Amino acid sequence: MDTILSVEGLEVEFATYGGTVKAVRGVSFDVTRGETLAIVGESGCGKSVTVQSLMGLIPMPPGEITGGTATLNGKNILNLPPAEANKFRGVEVGMIFQDPMSSLNPTMTIGDQIAETLKVHRGKSDQEAFKLAVELLERTHIPEASKRAKQYPFEFSGGMLQRAMIAQSLACNPAILIADEPTTALDVTIQAQILELMLELQRTENMSIILITHDLAVVARMADRVAVMYAGQVIESGTVDDIFYRSSHPYTLGLKEAMPSNTDDRDKSLSPILGSPPDLFKPPVGCGYCARCPYAMAVCAEHLPPTTTISESHEARCWLHHPTAPDIEELHQLDDQNAG
Amino acid sequence: MLAYTLKRLFAGVVTVWFIATATFIAMHQVPGDPLMNDKAVSAEIRANLEAKYGLDKPVTEQYFIFLGNMLRGDFGISFTQQNRRVNDIIRDHFPISATLGLLAIFFAATGGVLWGALTAIYRNRLPDIVIMFLVILGISVPSFVFAALGQLFLVNLNSLFGQSIIPVAGWGTFWHMLMPSMVLGLGTMALLTRLMRSSMLEVVNEDYIKTARAKGLSPTRIFFKHQLRNAILPVITVLGPQIAAITTGGFVVELVFAIPGLGRYFVQAVQQLDYTVIMGTTVFYGAFLVMMVIIVDILYGFIDPRVRLS
Amino acid sequence: MSLFEPTAADFEPLARQEKAEQITRPSLSYWQDAWVRLKKNTRAIISLGIIVLLGLFTMIGPLLWSVNPALQNLNQVSQAPSWAKSAVVIAPYQSWDGIRLDNFTSPDQTFTSLPEPTGFSTPDTPTTQRVRLAWDQVPGADGYNVYRNNHAPRDFNDLGLPLGSTYGDELSYEDRLSLEPREYYYSLVPTDGYDEYEVYSQLILTPVLALTPDEAVERGLITDTHEVNIGDLVTIEFHPLGTDYLGRDMLARLMEGARVSLFIGIVAPFLFVLVGIIYGGFAGYFGGRVDGLLMRFAEFVVALPFLLFMILFKIAFGIGPGESGIMPMLLALVLLSWPSTARLVRGQVLQIREEGYIEAARLLGAKDHYLVLRHIIPNTMGVILVTLTFAVPAAIFTEAFLSFIGMGVAPPTPSWGSMCNEGVKTMLSHPHELIFPALLISITVLAFNLLGDGLTEALDSKMRSRD
Repeated sequence: MDTILSVEGLEVEFATYGGTVKAVRGVSFDVTRGETLAIVGESGCGKSVTVQSLMGLIPMPPGEITGGTATLNGKNILNLPPAEANKFRGVEVGMIFQDPMSSLNPTMTIGDQIAETLKVHRGKSDQEAFKLAVELLERTHIPEASKRAKQYPFEFSGGMLQRAMIAQSLACNPAILIADEPTTALDVTIQAQILELMLELQRTENMSIILITHDLAVVARMADRVAVMYAGQVIESGTVDDIFYRSSHPYTLGLKEAMPSNTDDRDKSLSPILGSPPDLFKPPVGCGYCARCPYAMAVCAEHLPPTTTISESHEARCWLHHPTAPDIEELHQLDDQNAG
Repeated sequence: MLAYTLKRLFAGVVTVWFIATATFIAMHQVPGDPLMNDKAVSAEIRANLEAKYGLDKPVTEQYFIFLGNMLRGDFGISFTQQNRRVNDIIRDHFPISATLGLLAIFFAATGGVLWGALTAIYRNRLPDIVIMFLVILGISVPSFVFAALGQLFLVNLNSLFGQSIIPVAGWGTFWHMLMPSMVLGLGTMALLTRLMRSSMLEVVNEDYIKTARAKGLSPTRIFFKHQLRNAILPVITVLGPQIAAITTGGFVVELVFAIPGLGRYFVQAVQQLDYTVIMGTTVFYGAFLVMMVIIVDILYGFIDPRVRLS
Repeated sequence: MSLFEPTAADFEPLARQEKAEQITRPSLSYWQDAWVRLKKNTRAIISLGIIVLLGLFTMIGPLLWSVNPALQNLNQVSQAPSWAKSAVVIAPYQSWDGIRLDNFTSPDQTFTSLPEPTGFSTPDTPTTQRVRLAWDQVPGADGYNVYRNNHAPRDFNDLGLPLGSTYGDELSYEDRLSLEPREYYYSLVPTDGYDEYEVYSQLILTPVLALTPDEAVERGLITDTHEVNIGDLVTIEFHPLGTDYLGRDMLARLMEGARVSLFIGIVAPFLFVLVGIIYGGFAGYFGGRVDGLLMRFAEFVVALPFLLFMILFKIAFGIGPGESGIMPMLLALVLLSWPSTARLVRGQVLQIREEGYIEAARLLGAKDHYLVLRHIIPNTMGVILVTLTFAVPAAIFTEAFLSFIGMGVAPPTPSWGSMCNEGVKTMLSHPHELIFPALLISITVLAFNLLGDGLTEALDSKMRSRD
């Protein structure tokens, strides 16, 4: 497998007036060429902080990367000075954000903003860069690209702006595109178009995508592999089928229960996960999900569960996978399904 | 943009008419006959004025004569200086006040943007704390105290060198203008520094700055290309009203530094109850300020595309 | 962690403690909450303290310090601040022959350098009547220059006021030049008759405040010269902050001036904010055409050149003989300053009218007057309070500014601004006449500005949700 990005035991903390928030507590994942990795979790689970710290975008201070490694094509990318970081930011890794309306400079034309990347990283002249910017806009299916390039962000609709953002992040043909909740701020129909565009570009450019989202429907549509995050840790990771059909963590089960489905049991009411995530000012000693978990055991409150390998591609962090643990029917059912 | 400019100009004309009317009403409230003042008017001027303003005629007729004269740009003849036209007085003294004011605005704007940006970069560190303390001081100390201190400083400076390095008072060369315009701009500079600082801190947290960093731009480029330009916009919007504040604030500085500007002349005219000079100067200043606000607003449109294109 | 091997007991289901969600923070009303926040802001609280002290200075001050601020005393013009309460009675001035060398021959030549003078001293007690200086002969010197300075000289070029020169045989000097009971730095420089040698010696002394019996009678401290003996102490007028150019007590005048400045500075904002609330509330409440018309008029008033019209209105209202001119200034301030508050209140009312909770209250059947009293007014109060706090320093500035250019209160009524106007004329010789009123204006304005900043933060609902 052709691994491009490898993250190992990443830890990020924020110093606040109230104390230190341990936002990311030992996250590891790999990204291989051409695949889409989805990082899923509820708000505040640390998924955005994880990718932003890789890009050197968290403000330091108050933020601090306290541990772990991240290597992009064999080179370390953590804690680099801006001049070093700018050798891969925008070049090898492109990034798009949640709210395209506020993510573009309101007083610069769209074309200039895209051309800026090319001028800085590729040393293109003004005209050349602008011409390439127009081509990029065309590639993201923006009609009348040469005219649109001379317009300002406030003259664009939300969906068009996100296309422009994608065009901008693609300027230097990056190996990885990080999309931080790219469709959350958009209408449902526009969402589908943007996701379609991303899939199309991924095929043509052979690029990897790290997709941050809380929307399982988006995951199912886009992802090859999935990492589920909870309270600053990856609690389950695997292929998209592993996660959806062979869920091995009570939290993933809970997420699925909370998701509407149009196949079976349409009359069944959705069941939310009760309670709220732990306060990361004082992270729990044991499993972070313990307080909300329907299967919680004595050990869960006291000891962090080890990572258990379920199959070649599938890992989970739960005491239930310990040989001594009692059998849980729901997990079993799934196992049976898998077997069958 | 053209339609907008024309609309603003029309509104400006109406505003100037309102200022002229308010001036006329205010001056007609002054107790006593303007010509019966103890600052006696010569018979010659009295005859001229009665003819010109029809002071014996009803108030409404006087008002229309006054408006007609204003419309032609004729502000009349001074009450206290024989045969000196108010237009000449304005022409002689206003350029001095305007130079002083523009220099002061220049100091205030460049200083405000510079210090404001600096404090934002060094937020909560020593340079920020020191500058913000000075800013609070600049806002709280009246301009005449700064004028007095500035003059004291020049006196000491000159005595230290045993010769006149920078003139303490008067007008003429750039060196005459330096201290008065800095003193005049100080309060506005403090205000603009504060505004620029909060504006910069707001922009730093904007998403598009994060985008710029994700694009791999250098901090310097982000600062100049993305941060500064957006942060200056709110500073420009208050520049119009601040020009007004500075121009009238010029009175005190002109008084302390013995500068022969229009402000000092106005104060003198008020003391002597020179009606035509008071009315003429007020209307002229009013029109000038209205004009400045319009110019700043239109300039703003050129800088902010959101305004220009809507 | 890997060393940990769980036992079967560890896999018992967890006994769940049902913790009902508790509200740990006490519930506070809007104003209680704002007060709690304001108390955390040290600068704002210190400012509040200063404002209270200023109030006491103005109200209680004149009761404790009952010197008549209008009492002129031309014998004590522009006295520096001093804590002296009594003076020594001394004999009337008698001339002094000084110290002369009998057998002095002029050196008739210039040396490259001379040693520092020695024995620079006062032969008797220096008083404010006269300071006598004497020194030893410097061999080779053909004269001496005497200087006096108010501060320690930095170098040879900073010796201060040149008092006089003596010839080579004169080894003394008498200084009678407007002496005050303060520290002086005397310097002695030997000369060759014309030019100075670059050496000097220094004497620091403080003259004793002294009066002759005749002067004491003249100042009305005693009725007859026989009442006192030489060497007695007489009680003198006490001017802790000195006197002004007409010999009036500065402290008493500052208190009187505070009344004028703070009266205008506080009453005018109250009045124009009130006018603004009514006008703006009216416009905002009715909306539509009324609103458009009212706001257009407000815009016109804003466009008037403020200071020019302040002056214009003031002369239009006129000041009769014996009037202080405070009321015309108050009226002019109110007439010109209300539009800013009106615009603000109107904007607030228009905004609040559209808020969800107003809609909700209306759906629950709330009547208009209930909405106005219960929701709209309380929700604009915060903004209005902040406006008021910032309007006070602006009004104090305006008063000071106008009085400074002689367009404010009419003399002899003191205000801090008019005192600055008087003080700036004697700034170089008697800086205290400018410094004290200027300092009071600055401190007052600073305190209100910092309090306003604190209030803005304390009342800002955006900041509120942050912690």
